[in-house]
Amino acid sequence: MELLGLEHVYWQLPLVAYPFLSGLVAGSFIVGSLSKVFGLSKFEPLAKLSVIVTFAFLVVAALAPLAEAVQRMRWWELYTRDHIPYSPLGLFIVIWTAYIILVVAEMYFIFRVDNIRLAAQAQGWRRRWHNLLTFGSRDISAGSLRRDHAVLVVLAVTGILLALGFHGYVGFVFGALKARPLWSNPLMPPLFIMSAIVSGIAVMIVAYVLIQGGLSADPIDRGILDGLMKFLMWMILVDLFLDFVDLLNAGVSAYTSLAVYRGFSAIFFPGGPLAVMYWVLQLGLLLLALVMTFFRGIRRSPLWASITGLAVLISVFAMRYDTVIGGELQPKVSQGLVRYTPVLFGIDSWQVLFGLAAIAIFLIGLSLLLLPWEPSWVTAWLGRGGNDGQKIESGASSAEVGG
Amino acid sequence: MFTHASKPGPEPFDPSRRSFLRSAFTLTIGVAALPAFSVPAKAAPPAPGSGTKTGVNPKYNPSWEGWGNPRLDIDDGWNNWHNILNPDNLPIYHDVFERIPESRPAHHWGMVIDARKCVGCQACVVSCKSENNVPLGVYRTWVDVYQTGDTVPDPDGDILVDGERFRMDVRVQSVPKICNHCDNPPCVDVCPVKATFKRQDGIVLVDPTLCIGCGTCVNACPYDARYLNPVSHTADKCTFCVERVDAGLDPACVTSCVGRSRIFGDLNDPDSEVSRLLVEYPSVVRHPEFGTKPQVYYIGMSGDITTDPDPNVQRMVYTYTSNANNSVVADVDDRI
Repeated sequence: MELLGLEHVYWQLPLVAYPFLSGLVAGSFIVGSLSKVFGLSKFEPLAKLSVIVTFAFLVVAALAPLAEAVQRMRWWELYTRDHIPYSPLGLFIVIWTAYIILVVAEMYFIFRVDNIRLAAQAQGWRRRWHNLLTFGSRDISAGSLRRDHAVLVVLAVTGILLALGFHGYVGFVFGALKARPLWSNPLMPPLFIMSAIVSGIAVMIVAYVLIQGGLSADPIDRGILDGLMKFLMWMILVDLFLDFVDLLNAGVSAYTSLAVYRGFSAIFFPGGPLAVMYWVLQLGLLLLALVMTFFRGIRRSPLWASITGLAVLISVFAMRYDTVIGGELQPKVSQGLVRYTPVLFGIDSWQVLFGLAAIAIFLIGLSLLLLPWEPSWVTAWLGRGGNDGQKIESGASSAEVGG
Repeated sequence: MFTHASKPGPEPFDPSRRSFLRSAFTLTIGVAALPAFSVPAKAAPPAPGSGTKTGVNPKYNPSWEGWGNPRLDIDDGWNNWHNILNPDNLPIYHDVFERIPESRPAHHWGMVIDARKCVGCQACVVSCKSENNVPLGVYRTWVDVYQTGDTVPDPDGDILVDGERFRMDVRVQSVPKICNHCDNPPCVDVCPVKATFKRQDGIVLVDPTLCIGCGTCVNACPYDARYLNPVSHTADKCTFCVERVDAGLDPACVTSCVGRSRIFGDLNDPDSEVSRLLVEYPSVVRHPEFGTKPQVYYIGMSGDITTDPDPNVQRMVYTYTSNANNSVVADVDDRI
């Protein structure tokens, strides 16, 4: 048995994935709500895809802290004996539950008309499945569509506020622990919210290129890519600004407390254990992505936009790693630094992270097959173009479904 | 021997009757626990040997590592937590700790550690591990060893370096460390499932039958007094040997302290030894800047010892408990 020592890293890789995944939730939800809340109708094709992505990552985001808790079979106590409002993790289950109810409601309304059509016209199990999803609703009158839109706008506004709360409290989970000098920082919630939005836009760029470009009959709309990349550019600017403020407040001895400076300089300055992680992966890649968004050619190219998105995702994951692991590398009562190398297999390992990612991808794939997210697929499922496996006629994509 | 005179148990306890100590302890626990059995089915210990497989039987596998699937039962070597945490049903607090003084508690347990008397024998560490069945690799109390002073030039010194003579003007200071049972414990506030609590008499406890092991409290404690128990897979910490305190005894580390460096008692009682010591001598607490109001007071600490993590400043020589996993980094004081 490995001796634990007095101090070691208590929150390991699953807790790194937890703010990362919940950041993807918050960001992708905001991207999906752009058309409804901010009237940016060119992002309307992203709405259905983003709600699918949001739902998958939302489910997995709850599994990450559960993977970290060593008595995870007692998860129900979070509902029966929740310590609110004092415990930041106690707030988690409240916001998460509200959020998953909201996303499920949004899924119902956003897919309602398509589900009604499929329940009426599709064949076999798909008819029964979509009939189930309609919850008995058959109303596709103009009035009901207006009501759907109004409900979706309300849900999107509430969801954006919840997304900010959802990720703000994730910053609070760390910011509330005054024992860790590098965590106990009022900048934590805004820092986490901004990087959440950045990573959410990036994951939507990648998902749009992969899913829309790879599976759909519709070509990739370069205008959407261009818009997302411009949105990404401004959000990265704000995020880098907050990173810079954080650096000023932690890495300059004249501006900060001794404990914060000691920990920050020992961990993140050249020679420290997370120096490459911080300067190259977290800041360098984000800066690189920012520069890439300046070029119109990159913004409109699916390949290069995806590469930019991946760079942002790696950068944000590195930011989560630096925050969660870096804060724990500073000892509370002993000297030097706590040593930590993530393991490949077993508890709290990369294997857990790959498992979480696999669950997310599985959920996204399952949702794509079971939910009417794409007009040409709906046309195929309706049976006009033949059975499911047959070639999708490209002309069907122009048919505005449910509109 | 000093023993805090007043105690919550209904059975009167006379510290002079040492031979009856053990029976008095058993009797007090039994009598005090009777009205507290709200869940008698859980409180009943299982029959000896039941549910014990060869793999987890300490007779065949005495190491902690073999106890893969712990049941917190008496026959596993664990205390029966349903009786032990709060037999008198004292009010417990998960937050708003400022209400505890308003509730007029009968006792306020605290500890005074007289650093002048500690010889660094580690008997407290051993007795704590033994009393509380603390697994390998984790500690509820530990004694760090510091060195104050310096090597100073002295014409009569016995150290000869480059033709100059020096003398070691140093003192070794052992600092026993333990959960501070803070009056404003951040570890209790952050628990998401109210598994940890502060009893009205000041003792901060974890209920291992409720803890989900999320580790928030372990990270929230500025003194690193909590750990995740590798056997029970829950957060765990010093209990001030609550079962002994409820029986009118001192904690195990206090009983075993050879120099009587650790003194335990009722801070509410002005005549208790802890109160008199705190009145008579200047005392310090660990990390007062966190505002946790620690209830473990140190007398006779050298002012040279700081809480700074820099090895050159902190003057820690070694600790029995933290060197296994830590690395020492270069001095980064002069950067920027």
